[in-house]
Amino acid sequence: MNHTTTASSTDPGLEASKQAVEAEIRDRADPRQVLADRVAQLYRQMPIAIGATFVAGAIATFELQGRWLKELVLIWWALVVTFTAAASLLLYAYSRSPDKVGTAPQWLRWVGIAALGNGASWGLAGGVFFRSLSDEQQVFLAFLFAGMASVGIPVYAASWPIFALYAAGILGPFFYVLLTFGNRLFVEIALLVPLFYAINVAIAYRLTQVFHSGYQLRHAYGKLTHDHRQLNQRLEKQLVEIEEARRQVEASGRKLALFAERAPIAVLELQPDGTVVEVNHAAEILFGYAANELVGGSVKKLVLPHVHDEFNGTWQQLVSSRESLAGLKIRNARRDGIELVCEWTVTPLVNFQKEVIAVIAQGRDVTAQLEAERMKKEFTSTLSHELRTPLTSIIGSLQLINSGVMGEVDKEIGELTMVAERNGQRLLDLINDILDIEKIESGKLSLSPEIMPVDELVREAVVLNKAFGERFQVRFQAHGDAPERKVHADRKRLLQVMTNLLSNAAKFSSEGAVVDIATEDAGPNVRVSVHDRGSGIPEAFRTRIFGRFTQADSTATRQKGGSGLGLAICKRLVELMRGRIGFDDRPGGGTTFWFELPRRTA
Amino acid sequence: MPARPLNRICYVEDDEDIQRIVRMSLERVGKMTVAVVGDPTQAIAMITEFNPDLVMLDWMMPVMDGPTLFRQLKLRPETSALPVVFITARASQPDLDELKTLGAAGTISKPFSPKDLPDQLRAIWAALP
Repeated sequence: MNHTTTASSTDPGLEASKQAVEAEIRDRADPRQVLADRVAQLYRQMPIAIGATFVAGAIATFELQGRWLKELVLIWWALVVTFTAAASLLLYAYSRSPDKVGTAPQWLRWVGIAALGNGASWGLAGGVFFRSLSDEQQVFLAFLFAGMASVGIPVYAASWPIFALYAAGILGPFFYVLLTFGNRLFVEIALLVPLFYAINVAIAYRLTQVFHSGYQLRHAYGKLTHDHRQLNQRLEKQLVEIEEARRQVEASGRKLALFAERAPIAVLELQPDGTVVEVNHAAEILFGYAANELVGGSVKKLVLPHVHDEFNGTWQQLVSSRESLAGLKIRNARRDGIELVCEWTVTPLVNFQKEVIAVIAQGRDVTAQLEAERMKKEFTSTLSHELRTPLTSIIGSLQLINSGVMGEVDKEIGELTMVAERNGQRLLDLINDILDIEKIESGKLSLSPEIMPVDELVREAVVLNKAFGERFQVRFQAHGDAPERKVHADRKRLLQVMTNLLSNAAKFSSEGAVVDIATEDAGPNVRVSVHDRGSGIPEAFRTRIFGRFTQADSTATRQKGGSGLGLAICKRLVELMRGRIGFDDRPGGGTTFWFELPRRTA
Repeated sequence: MPARPLNRICYVEDDEDIQRIVRMSLERVGKMTVAVVGDPTQAIAMITEFNPDLVMLDWMMPVMDGPTLFRQLKLRPETSALPVVFITARASQPDLDELKTLGAAGTISKPFSPKDLPDQLRAIWAALP
């Protein structure tokens, strides 16, 4: 039968590790604290030393004073009293010391000095009195010395060197006296004295070790306890913080959930494979499914079957790129089979390992919006075709009559057909302006820019608008002849800008006026200015002069024609050509409208 | 520039009013000979019979629009060389560019001026190789 030996304290490995742990713990103690504790121990024992010295000294004095050395004994007694008084003072001073730790080495020295003095005072008694005493008195004194030396062990146990000094002070002179007494027995006793001394010092040494180790452990554990308490406090604080953080996360989670839940747009949380995890109320309403009908199934349930392939491709790209997509238009299917076009923002959520853990899809129904856009486009197209076609016939017929190729007409009839043609043209201009604005604002106007001399363009504009000016009895006068001044612009559109500015100038000038057109350099730009002598721009109208459907005086619209879109179109066209447009008051009355375009050298 | 002056025009247009104005403009102002076709499906037969110098096509017509008719003309050897001009009230720049690359001789936008129409056509005629 085998006995399994259990690990016990006798196991050398375990013992060694225990010692190592203890040594490690002891090493944590602050050596200054340990020393201070030992010094305190020494001072705590000091009253015993003082009391014992005083009492033993009194007995010794009483015993020895009947002899011829009476005065000497009294002097010795005075010395003992002085020493005990000094030791008491020292004890008092130590007890009042404010920094017992920092000054511990110094207090240790003083204890050493006091111990040496105490021991030496007994040694002196031995050295001086022993020879002249009777046999009985010698036995008394020897007994007293032995007692005093052994009392020193507990008193000075906290520091064996101090004990060694103290005991040496007592026993050194005694040893010498015995050795030189001339008596064989005394010599033999004398030889025993160092032996006892050595044994006592050894015991004191062991005790010092025990004290030292004890104090070390006390401080080490104290420090450990302190560290532990601090650690505990930190942990408690962290626990509180973690709890607070958890509450915040929970609160923001609730907030987010609330956002998603109450949002007017459909929000779906999906797995990377497209499985629906959660849907909000708006999604339920939009697609006509209850949440539990969608959760757990594929999101493709909401996508029209014949666009599944396209959807798969987009989804693959989304998951592999891990980048969110916005403005994604998907043809979705409602529960009742009706097709919806929804605009989606899909955002993959990625963890620290860069893996997609979820996809958040937010979508809104843009079917109606797309329909509205289509209708707007259709309306524009209708305006463009269905209005212009009859106008072509009206204006064309009138032009044929007014041009005279159909033969002479009665003068008054001719005037009426002229009015009809002019107003037909006005209607056409308005339609063209509306179409232009629509085209510019929807970004569909494409320019065909070329590099051209500005002066040439200005002359062309003057020629084209000469007839219009004559209607208002206004003459256009172009100044400047610098063929090297070139700009990069769309000829047709720039002529449109010029025509607008010239016709405005003509309309708002008085009869017989001259409208000056100047071209000049303006920094890196070329500036074309149209100066009129009109009544100026009213203050209230200045800020919205380049707005749509604006005219300073709406009666002017009826009298002089114009859609109120001309300057709005000019501003947008000039800006499309990277230029700017503006107006200034003209000194002496009237207004200067100008535009600037970047100068080109090529 | 072709050696002979522009004289015979065939115009395919469904709107009768415009037909009349264009005819008067070209005949009275331009002193040209004009054949007008109202039904685009009859156009190829008429063009083959009339043998014009130049064909004018309206862009938007019911049953068959101008560009479709144009492509059919280009497919037929007897009409593929005929210069074709489009008359249109709409048409985006890309559409016009595409027609140019297909071989349209030019475009005239509606509304046009009947006074200037013959000169516009002659300018296009003059630019032909």
